[in-house]
Formats: sequence, structure tokens, C-alpha cells
Amino acid sequence: MFDLADVQGNILRGYTGKPHVRYLILEVADAMAARRWLAASISGRYHGVPQITTGDWGTAKPETCFNIGLTYEGLRALGTPSSSLAMLPNEFIAGMTASAAKLGDVGHSAPEKWPAPFNEPKRIHLIATIYADKVEQLEQIQQRALDRNALTLLGTREGCTFPGEKERDFVHFGYRDNISQPRFEGVPDSQRHPDRQPKAPLGTVLLGHPTNLEGLTWRVPQPAELGHNGTFNAFRVLKQDVAGFEKYLDQAASFLLQHPRVEELLPPGNEEKIGKGLSRCEALREIVAANLCGRWRDGTPLALSAEIPDPKMDLTDFDYVGVGDSRCPHGAHIRRCNPRGGQIVQRIANNSRRLVRRGVPYGPPYDPAKPFERDEPERGLLGNFIGASLGAQFEAMSCDWLNLGLQDPRITGSNDPISGANDPRTSWFDLPLTSGDPIRLHGLPEFVSTRGGAYTFLPSISAIRYLGSLTT
Amino acid sequence: MANDESWFGKFVNELHEKPWFKCAGAWTLVPIWARLTPVKPLPGGVRPSIQPGDNLQSMMNLIMPLKTENRSPIGRAAAALAIAKNRDQIFAGLDNVGTVHFARFVIVNDNICMFSVYDGDFTNYIRDFIATIGSAFNDVVKLVEGGDAVTPCEENVEAFIQWIHEHDLYQVPDTPTDFLRDQEYLEGDKAVSPVNDDLTLLPRKLVLQLRANKNVSLGSGYRAYPGYSVAQVRKQLQLGW
Repeated sequence: MFDLADVQGNILRGYTGKPHVRYLILEVADAMAARRWLAASISGRYHGVPQITTGDWGTAKPETCFNIGLTYEGLRALGTPSSSLAMLPNEFIAGMTASAAKLGDVGHSAPEKWPAPFNEPKRIHLIATIYADKVEQLEQIQQRALDRNALTLLGTREGCTFPGEKERDFVHFGYRDNISQPRFEGVPDSQRHPDRQPKAPLGTVLLGHPTNLEGLTWRVPQPAELGHNGTFNAFRVLKQDVAGFEKYLDQAASFLLQHPRVEELLPPGNEEKIGKGLSRCEALREIVAANLCGRWRDGTPLALSAEIPDPKMDLTDFDYVGVGDSRCPHGAHIRRCNPRGGQIVQRIANNSRRLVRRGVPYGPPYDPAKPFERDEPERGLLGNFIGASLGAQFEAMSCDWLNLGLQDPRITGSNDPISGANDPRTSWFDLPLTSGDPIRLHGLPEFVSTRGGAYTFLPSISAIRYLGSLTT
Repeated sequence: MANDESWFGKFVNELHEKPWFKCAGAWTLVPIWARLTPVKPLPGGVRPSIQPGDNLQSMMNLIMPLKTENRSPIGRAAAALAIAKNRDQIFAGLDNVGTVHFARFVIVNDNICMFSVYDGDFTNYIRDFIATIGSAFNDVVKLVEGGDAVTPCEENVEAFIQWIHEHDLYQVPDTPTDFLRDQEYLEGDKAVSPVNDDLTLLPRKLVLQLRANKNVSLGSGYRAYPGYSVAQVRKQLQLGW
């Protein structure tokens, strides 16, 4: 029987009640002291080291949550036996920067342009994550976590959900986010959202369990206590150009206003249905925004309501089976990331590349009243993309689906409209029309650029105990 | 110096055509170079491009040397039989991967080779292939050197993909600069040498790489039309995808 208490809490739980998150990017200063630190983190009773939050916290909800991820260099620095290191997957060993071309980390997003501490990827050994209600708690836990003998702090990244009961579910481009996560077989479903997608086998997210690809198993680094119930995370610092995004919506709306077939997209008089008091141009902006994402900004899936945002629609209970282009573009961001049961080229890949996504915004919310100010502060998303195989899930999705559009011949050769490495000279996106040929939008710039990241291994509690007990 | 028009420059440039130099080079000079500057074999396969359209119709040239005991007419026949026996399953698997244009099996000098043209990322192609055909490819891999360590393929996915990658021919880029960049990147040096990048002058790095990598694929080959995906072609021909 699968034991939730052996798994780090951030894998299967979103900690959605805790608005503040801080990432400590750390280097092992002394292997022996770092191993003592790891051993102490299991109980949290010694040397003040914060306790690792597990997937089973019983009835006592913790006030703060603390989790760790280790890079390949980190596992090496801790003295993990070379026979175990050799069993780790190639993508993880080479690190995120080696996969730059696959992930679209080129141009402005190239690893050579990442700021410190991500400019020295080999020095990043451990990334600790603190979730809390208040900033003061982040400070306290950081103080406790920092044992100068064991670990050197290379840098931090801090995120916070938007303040306000309604705003907390939204992210920088103005969309509702963090709507749903995969449900797993054998794991209690805390969200209880209706969902037409099948439950994912546990091996989608944890090593040592059956995967979605029949008969295929991922290699579990040995000894079993090291690999079993562990998983991999792609941690990404993703800068979002909100001003550029809004500007592009203006540009696209102006283009559409002049388009001979615009009435098919927005019948005259329908503006009010898109949003209260919207002008024709503003309504067209929202239509473009909805098509780029695959959801209206309030979260309504286009697959369920293509014409207007409808708060009565369920946010999660939908599929793309039989959903044609005119309902939801094949190139829309959420459909590219997860085509659900819809027809795709790679017939066996339906539902096999699913990821647990944990994202929290960083930087101040964009103020539309002061658009396009110079020296805009940096803002974006601190994202975690968790899955048992970096190659078969995160990289496969990024490379073939987001950056190539291989899953559907109608979008092949185009990038994801929101998160892709777009170049305005070549980018395009098709806005579907019910009558047939779509209207093609051009000139999409890069709205999201990568400002750092690392592949980490999220060890189980047994693995942390094992690493803490190493003596070499 | 190499471009010098002097008699000495001419002498040096024509050296590689002299029979005595070829002999001396093969038996003395190149082994000494290789000892002084060891060169790692460059990895096989195509490099992912940053232009999405370039990641279509990539080539895989998989050369799998038969085990010593299979290097005979009977061993080669066993390899031919392993393909023939599983042909329908392998072809159905390739069809279901959805991203493979062509694939064929060839026996060349005690090597069993699989040449194929595919779309997208190499690791996804191989992983999906294994996920689709399961055990059918194991019969082939078992006959090949190093194959025992990666069979059954479906239980050794990561090792199998790495193994295929290592047996896929290195693709010498079309331009000398790209070749030197590959070489220097492998050595952890991102700066490209400003000199000696003319492949017609047989730079030492190319000679040493061809010593480490006896079989290579040259350039990206001829194309009669730009890259389209399997599904784009099938859709255009109304074959369904």
C-alpha cells in the first residue's frame, strides 16, 4: 500500500491556502554537515532545521511547509554512490541548461543570459521551498534552514499569490490559473472536481509505480529507498511581459476590426455578452485572449463555451474528444500542453505526458491604468513542473507540443502562442471560424522568457533519511 | 600558413595526396596526434534546432554491430529472421508512433542497420516506438553487441534510448564552423576557433574525429521539398492522420 507520509507534501498537495512562497537556492558547503542537516530535516527536532512537510499531515495542518529538491550536482556533492548516480536519467544528469534548445530557452531566454544564481548552474545543489501565510514566517524558516556550515545561500526567489479573495486565483496575464491537477490512482482526491480525464497511474508522478505507457517502467535509482517514491521537478523562473501581451491584444483587435469576416467571430451586438460595458474592440481583445489560452480569462474552457465566458460552466469537466477547431483552437495554450483525449498525431501519448504544475506569481501585479511604462518591474511565474520522467513528460511536452506543434498537422511549425519562444517575424496563430478557414494572426512576440531554472529530484522521506545516513 | 602561396604552403596543402604521407599519417602521425589530444566521439543524431520547422524529417542512421558469434552467414540470417518474424508488429508500431516517415532495415558488414526519417524529438520517437511495439524489437537487439544490457527494452527505457543514441551515426554538419563548434562544445569550450575552419584542408580535429567515429553521416543530405510532418503530408493527401 502506498504511504503518503513517505512522499514530500508539495508533490501531491498544492498548499493553495498559503499565499507566500520562497525558494532558497543553496550550495552544499560541507558534505558531512549537509547530510546531518538532511537527517535533521526529517523530524525537525534537531539543530533547528525545519521539518520536511510530507503528504500526510493528519489533522494538524502545518503553519508553514518546507520541502527540498536536489540537483544532480547536489546528489554528487552529498556523496551519493556513483552506482546510484549512474542510474539517474540523462536529462537530469545533464541539467536543464543542456536541454535549452528543446525547451525553447534560446535568444532572451538562453541560459547564458540567466541572472545569478542561475548563471552558475553547477553550483546549484539544493532548492528548498518555504510556503507560509506571512512573510515573517518565511524569514523565520529561512533563518532556521540556513546552517552556514552545511549550506551556502546562493540566492532566493520569492512569489506571492495576488492579494484579495477573488484575485488570489489569478496570474499575471489576467487568467484564472491553478484550476486543476491530475488525479492519481490510489491517492485521495482532495479537489473533488468533476473531471472527464481518466485518473493518472501513480507512476506518472512517482518513481516505482506503474506508468501510463503500458508495460513501460522508468528506472528507479538504487538502493530502492533512494529512488522509490521520488520524482523529478523542472523549476522555472518565467518572466511574463504583461504590457507586451496587452499591447498585442490591442494590435490583434485593430487588425480584426478591419477584417471582412470579423462578424463571424463577433456578431454585432454580442459585445455585452463577452463582458459588461465592453466596446467592440475590447470584446475582440477578450476573444483573442481566450483563443490564445483555450480558456476565457475567468477560467471558462472554450471547449465548453466557445462563444462567451460562462461562470455557470464547470472549469474542469471537459475533454477534447470530438471538439473541433471551431470550439477550441488546436493551438491554444492549454490544449497544446494537455490535449486530453482529443485526436493527436502521437496516438499513444494521450494522457501520458501529464504533469503536476505548481505556479505562484512573482513581481507586482500589472496596472492597466498605467500601461507600457518604462522600467516596468520584472514579473512572472515561479513554476514547478513535476513528473516521474523529465524526458517523457516535461521535455516531451515542451519540445514536440509547445515548440513544434507536432501533435496536430494544423499547428505544426508554430510555437505555443503564450509560452512559446516566438519570433514576431515568423510566428502565427489561427483563430478558428465556424464557417471554415481560420483567420491567421501574425507577429506574436515572446511573451514568456526564462530567467532561470533547474532540474531537481524530489526525494522521498526514506531517501532523505538514506542520504542523511551516508558516510562517504 | 595553410593559405600561403609559397612553395612550402603548396607543399603542405598537397601533402595529403602523397602516398608516402598517407602511409606515414595513418601509421605514425594520426596515432601520435590522437595520443596527444584525445578526442571523444561526438554523439549521434541530429541536434535540435531552435527553428520549429527544422525539427521535421530528421534522419536516424542506426548501426548495430552483431555479436561476434553472430558474425557469420548464419548469424546474419538470424538477424534477417528477427526482422521478418516481427515485421508486422514493428511496422504497426511505427505506424502508431505517428511521426515516422520511413524506416528500413539493412545488413551491412555484420551490422544490422535501421535507417529512418522521423519528426520531432529523437527520444520521444524511440520511447513511443518502444511503448507501442513492446517486446517485438527485443529479438533484434538480443543479437547485437551490448544488446543484452538493454533488453527487455520496455523495462530499460532510459538505457535503451541512450544505447540507440550512441549507435546513431554522428551527423557531420554542413558547415565547417558547425563541426568545430560541436567538437569544442563537447570539450566544454564554447568559443569557436577563429582559424583552421576550412574542411578542404583536412583540419586535425576532423581527422581525429573520424578516427574516433569511423562511420558518420555527411551533412543534412538532399531534400526535394521543405520539411513537412507525417501528419501534414497525410492530411494533404486526404489519407487521415
